[in-house]
Amino acid sequence: MAIKKVLLEKDHVEGIRYYETYRREGGYRSVEKAFKMSPADIVEEVKKSGLRGRGGAGFPTGMKWSFIAKPEGVPRHLVCNADESEPGTFKDRYLMEFIPHLLIEGLIVSSYALGSNTTYIYIRGEYAWIVDILEQAIAEAKNNGWLGKNIVGSGFDCEIYVQRGAGAYICGEETALIESLEGKRGNPRIKPPFPAVKGVWERPTVVNNVETLAAVVPIINMGGEEYAKIGVGRSTGTKLISACGNINNPGVYEIDMTISVEEFIFSDEYCGGIPNGKRLKACIPGGSSVPILPANLLLKTAKGEQRMMNYESLSDGGFATGTMMGSGGFIVFDEDQCVVRHTLTLARFYRHESCGQCSPCREGTGWMEKILKNIEYGKGKMSDIDLLWDIQSKIEGNTICPLGDAAAWPVAAAIRHFRDEFEWHVLNPDEAQTRNFGLAHYADELAVTA
Amino acid sequence: MVKFSEEKLKEVSELISHYPEGKQKSALLPLLHIAQEEFGNWLDVPVMDYVAELLNIEPIEVYEVATFYSMYNLKPVGKYMFEVCQTGPCMLRGSDDIIAYIEEKLGIKPGETTPDGMFTLKTVECLGACGYAPMMQLGKHYREHLTKEKVDRLIEECRTNANSLN
Repeated sequence: MAIKKVLLEKDHVEGIRYYETYRREGGYRSVEKAFKMSPADIVEEVKKSGLRGRGGAGFPTGMKWSFIAKPEGVPRHLVCNADESEPGTFKDRYLMEFIPHLLIEGLIVSSYALGSNTTYIYIRGEYAWIVDILEQAIAEAKNNGWLGKNIVGSGFDCEIYVQRGAGAYICGEETALIESLEGKRGNPRIKPPFPAVKGVWERPTVVNNVETLAAVVPIINMGGEEYAKIGVGRSTGTKLISACGNINNPGVYEIDMTISVEEFIFSDEYCGGIPNGKRLKACIPGGSSVPILPANLLLKTAKGEQRMMNYESLSDGGFATGTMMGSGGFIVFDEDQCVVRHTLTLARFYRHESCGQCSPCREGTGWMEKILKNIEYGKGKMSDIDLLWDIQSKIEGNTICPLGDAAAWPVAAAIRHFRDEFEWHVLNPDEAQTRNFGLAHYADELAVTA
Repeated sequence: MVKFSEEKLKEVSELISHYPEGKQKSALLPLLHIAQEEFGNWLDVPVMDYVAELLNIEPIEVYEVATFYSMYNLKPVGKYMFEVCQTGPCMLRGSDDIIAYIEEKLGIKPGETTPDGMFTLKTVECLGACGYAPMMQLGKHYREHLTKEKVDRLIEECRTNANSLN
């Protein structure tokens, strides 16, 4: 079945990165349409579309927009979160690198809807060359009258500036991003007040992900109701999935959330199956923070239904037997891969990225890394597995921002579903030290137990 | 003496103009990137003090930020820095082997610089190139789908570039 693409429809048109081609292919039509509407009407269309934040949390965008405070005489700001750092996720990079004008167009419409005359794109510092691409696109848009004063005679003024981060995963959390934008360490703020009331420089601020803001373009072009017809249930529209790990065709795919996980992994149109004749062992479907699932639970829910690539189906069964859509960072493991080792790399990642404000996260992420390292290198005890479980359970829910949860969940899920692989490392210390060991039986068809 | 050229100072004023009046501290992160590029690829204390002066903020405000973010180098690094990703998705595609190969080839461990000051090896956490793993950042750009042969070529390429600059 042909998937309706609304973001990457034109990504292979030669020269689409540049203004002339982008405009010729119908670019900036949504801005023309938007200026004939009131800002409130645009917010209404976005609400109708059912669009949910594409950064990972999945919060309804229209609702988020409607929360923005409008005190008299205080400027408001839209900030685009391009701090894409969740392991497994590289979709925003693709969008910005190849169709930068789609983001700029979405930013103009969204800025108009929110009343932001100065809008910022906060991009992770490592994407240094993409800064140049975005700045060129902004300059082209400005030269053609889509930015600056009185945009195409609408009376609306808007400037977009790109701000480079400098290497900190935590700055993808919206209040840490705001702190960073103010020239400070990326320490998340306690909420409330929410950014919609007091954000950057204490002004009302909306922070949205790149893909979310790009999706505003098709929503305005086709209307919120039409957009909501794509997808299924509360998973409306399309989602970009960045697929990686042990698959034949890693890359970024736009899906309409009606296909099954099995089709996504094995169809040649998407991941193209597992290389070298190996079997599928496990998958983290929504970026490193979401629970890992063994093959059997990934392909079918605990109820025995086919699992689909959408918010509801991926989370079916809760954390006991399900996972999350998250950011769409889809990490596939073949039968040779060691879940303990992979979990260790994630624990190290979160320890490295913890801002250090909250003790459970600052200390807990370090402890988890140390214990996992011991287990992986054959120096672990059986009681360490329970200790790990205990630590992760005490981080979750006890921190200012969600990084604590994000660090706890991967460890919890790895123990929940792959406990005997941890035990194997404890029972076979010599072998654990000499080779990367993964228990292949997780790739087998298993009886699903709820 | 630590001082930007006239041209760089113009760039700094342009940056500061992106933010509301009195909020010039917001330009700190981009300004530190520029300073690092201009003054030998690391941030010595006089450089950070100079940035503080330019933004009219206390030096401690600059140190706080410079020590928080992983892209600022607080000690000298080699002319070429191999920043190799080691997080899960790259690990699944063999980044451990690539790191071990670079260690062997350059005779240094992560965090170290070759005695000739040419190469620094740094292991980094996810850079958002998981589908093109294993990978490293080299200067402004990513080098992806790394193999041992590619690493050999990269080292060669850096040595050739360094020679042609001399």
